[in-house]
Amino acid sequence: MSKALPQLKIVNRLHVLRAEQRITQEQLAKGVGVTRATIVAIEGGNYNPSLELAFRIARYFKRDIHTIFSVEEEIE
Amino acid sequence: MKKFDPMLLKVFLRGLPVIAILAVFAYCYSEGMVNHNSGYSRFLNGFAGLGFALWMVLSVYLSIRLMVSGSFRNYVIGKITFIRERDEREAILTGMAAKTAFLTSIAFLILLFCLSCFHVSIYRVPPEKAVDGKTGFVTLGLGFDLLKYDKQDRPEDAIQKQDIFSYRGLPVSGTTIILMLIVWQIISYNYSMRRLMR
Repeated sequence: MSKALPQLKIVNRLHVLRAEQRITQEQLAKGVGVTRATIVAIEGGNYNPSLELAFRIARYFKRDIHTIFSVEEEIE
Repeated sequence: MKKFDPMLLKVFLRGLPVIAILAVFAYCYSEGMVNHNSGYSRFLNGFAGLGFALWMVLSVYLSIRLMVSGSFRNYVIGKITFIRERDEREAILTGMAAKTAFLTSIAFLILLFCLSCFHVSIYRVPPEKAVDGKTGFVTLGLGFDLLKYDKQDRPEDAIQKQDIFSYRGLPVSGTTIILMLIVWQIISYNYSMRRLMR
């Protein structure tokens, strides 16, 4: 059996960016075509968006994807 | 056909109470509680029969559509469970809930299989039939029949025994088990979906 790889914890700065640009969760959800519950889950770290959604969020904020999403630490 | 399927499903679901009322009327008619000579009651009885026949045809058609059409399945699941997939996260949650419903159903089926196979009997025999001075017995058995027979070719018990407890498979009909499985699937899917969406 192969050795299990450590889990990657993906963190995001959605909450900070929203606050900077004074955008509500509802507005962001509409802008990227998901429900508000999904934005809440992403911000809370309970859901990692698909690559497509991550790019849509980056495009919405006009930023590079790695300035919004990054790997913070590895969980053993 | 795709256009008509949602409409036919609505007719099927909204027709359920009507069918129930017509069935009650048909029962009363067959039992002689309603005057057979009245033209109105005869017409209503004929209408009940026709309505029931159409509803049966519709139920068979919708069942087959459910098996073969993916888009119709999605539509029906949304209607039955009151849950829709609005984005990618909910699509993932739907998959997880479906997995839970599938696995719990398998577990439920295994339990039903075990309960339908096991035979347990606790009984007493008269003192003259005692074995090694013992009159109380516990017998355990495993019964599996590939085909269903009206009368099973098992020898009649030669010993006069007094049953204290006897269990020979599930005492419910096949229809009840199917209904239980349908309800189980819907409840387990709905419950796990709502828990995941919290």
